[in-house]
Amino acid sequence: MQNTRETTNSLLFLAPFLILFAIFLIFPIGYSFYLSFFGSPRDFSLANLEYVGFANYSNLLGFSVGPTGISLNDPAFWWSLGVTLLYGGLSIPLGITASLALALLLHNKLAGKDFFRSAFFLPNVLDMLVVGVIWGLIYAPKYGALAQVMNFFLGPDQFFNTTGLLANPYTAMPAVVLAMVLKGAGFGMILFLAALQNIPDAVYEAADIDGATHWEQFWHITLPLLRPILFFMVVTGIIGSLNAFTEIYAMTAGGPQVVVAGETLGSTSVVGYYLYKQFEAGRYGYAAAISYVLLALTLMLTFLQQRLFAGKKN
Amino acid sequence: MEQSSAFRVAAFVALTAGMVLLSFGISGQIFKFGSMVLSSMTASSEISSPTESVPAGSSGMPAAGDPTPSVGGETPVAVGSTPSVGGGTLAAVGSKPLADGPTPAGSAMVLKSAATLRMAGLAPLANGLAALVSLILMAFVLRRWIATQADLRGRFLKTFFLYEALSMAVVVVLFPFFWMLCTSFKPSGQELIINEANPFDIVPNEPTTANFLKVLKWDKPAGAPVEDEIERKKNFSTYFLNSLLVASTAAFLVTLFSSMAGYVFAKKELPYKGYLFALLMGTMMIPGMMYMVPQFFMISKMGLCGSKLAMFLPHLASVFGVFMLKQFMETIPGSLLEAARIDGASEWQLFSIIIVPLSMPILLTLFLLTFLFHWSNFLWQLIVTDFANPLSITLPVGLALFRGQYTSDLGLIMSASCFSIVPIAVLFMIAQRYFIEGMTQGAVKE
Repeated sequence: MQNTRETTNSLLFLAPFLILFAIFLIFPIGYSFYLSFFGSPRDFSLANLEYVGFANYSNLLGFSVGPTGISLNDPAFWWSLGVTLLYGGLSIPLGITASLALALLLHNKLAGKDFFRSAFFLPNVLDMLVVGVIWGLIYAPKYGALAQVMNFFLGPDQFFNTTGLLANPYTAMPAVVLAMVLKGAGFGMILFLAALQNIPDAVYEAADIDGATHWEQFWHITLPLLRPILFFMVVTGIIGSLNAFTEIYAMTAGGPQVVVAGETLGSTSVVGYYLYKQFEAGRYGYAAAISYVLLALTLMLTFLQQRLFAGKKN
Repeated sequence: MEQSSAFRVAAFVALTAGMVLLSFGISGQIFKFGSMVLSSMTASSEISSPTESVPAGSSGMPAAGDPTPSVGGETPVAVGSTPSVGGGTLAAVGSKPLADGPTPAGSAMVLKSAATLRMAGLAPLANGLAALVSLILMAFVLRRWIATQADLRGRFLKTFFLYEALSMAVVVVLFPFFWMLCTSFKPSGQELIINEANPFDIVPNEPTTANFLKVLKWDKPAGAPVEDEIERKKNFSTYFLNSLLVASTAAFLVTLFSSMAGYVFAKKELPYKGYLFALLMGTMMIPGMMYMVPQFFMISKMGLCGSKLAMFLPHLASVFGVFMLKQFMETIPGSLLEAARIDGASEWQLFSIIIVPLSMPILLTLFLLTFLFHWSNFLWQLIVTDFANPLSITLPVGLALFRGQYTSDLGLIMSASCFSIVPIAVLFMIAQRYFIEGMTQGAVKE
């Protein structure tokens, strides 16, 4: 009797959350799978979806072997996965380096430490779209801040003024990464700072006695002790790269275009942006299939990371 | 690490020079910015009193078939509604489109020169203050240097260097936002030139509030036809209010629902509670992008597209929130609950009288974080926005729309950006502890 009353009460307290959770977080997983078997309506209406079976998946992942070699059914998708890899491959190490550098600078007895902490953290709380728009304008040729500063030093006929970082396929992605690293560095900094404070001074004193240099101490003591934070930052970085959309939308809109093996592709079109583009074009079923592939990819990566991490622990 | 004293002195001189440059540069820009804000506000509020008398004189102008709308009729209304800043600045731009009438044109010129003149007048003060700051810093550093014993000077130099490196980093990290603030005050057409002599002087010399008025559509007439009324509402004050409403409603509901669920997971009995919580945690692995398509279908099938409810409804179940609150509530001693139960408190009373007050800091944190999430939830809001109904547009979507229209009008885009950035920056300064702890908490625990 007592137990059933407790259960009822618990369920009552849990009900609002649980209902929303079931409807908007559990049901869509199955619903998305269901939708991924439907084609794209020509008129953008959601009612006229046509069952196409596995066509979306075969169009997305399939390839055919022809006389000229393997040709992919949807090269833009594979390209966007590569771009995502590039985005993650640049932004994760750079982000870790920047936030670790800030943390090491701040991990000293300094007056006004809190001011610096807050100043570095501030961009984290600001709207991604707005930050992206502002950075887009900083990089813009002719009227952008960077172009004008460079004009002062190099004269008007230089790359920053004529093309701009975001209009060149080779510099567009690094430019986006730089903006995002500067926006996000304060977050990692706080994490590293907390972890650094937890390392007892005695460890360093012992190393000093053993004659270890500062560099050796950093490499053999500090970094290993920071590994949980490093792991966390890699994990969130991977999820962030797979979810990246707003920064690309705000700064480059997937461009500038490049032609690779006869295909016109967006040099910053990450997979999140590609997914949005499919959705925007009304290819709902196709977009659902992409998100399912993304889900499978994320789960695989998480599994891999856990295996790697568990392996290192022992 | 033994350095020669000559090396130390050289390093000290170099660092001091760097510090003077840095502090004069930073404080100079900050003081100049302050004087700019001050002068553009005081100058226009002084003007606003003469412009209030203008309507009578210029009332004939619309009848003359003037396509540029007269602001004369609108000025008193707006002045009445927001007397402090809005009224003044309104008058400032109000006078601009009236350039064909003799009196308003005159007042426009008076205004422009008033703000600019005042700023020019304040320039020596700003520069003097900046110089003073640098001098004080220099004197301070010099005194400390002399007071430091020779064998401790290496350490002193290291700290000195640290401060400079950190200040440079702050400049780099915060530069975009300072540039945004400065550019939003620049007159149209002038934002191209930073300052020919010195590209690092980014505060405009001829400030104007025209950009803000245009973004708010306060430079348009009041008595316009109904079609224009909707067009008029399509401005950043509407977007701002929409975002505020969406974000605060969502934040309140998420905090409420998550605290109730967190209470159950932390303190109450429920069969299969552990499995349920594991399921919750499992969904945290799923990339958010994956929910875009199905959630959009669900919301449109419910017929909610374009409504404010649709902007946040799918994100009301916050697994992160439940996790965070459960972690905290587990630290509340069970004996408190037992004692209250013996005193005959009902279940709801236990929750509202004991759990909620004790969890207040963490509830506030979750509220702020959720507010932030919905304030910046661009992709979802973009998808469900019905662009035929401008009254439902939120800030990020409004900015994306606006940028499409005014691609290269920097001043306008920047002043529109201020509506999103400035309130959050102020909120952050007030409650930074909650933001920083809340955002980094989940990570440290793992």
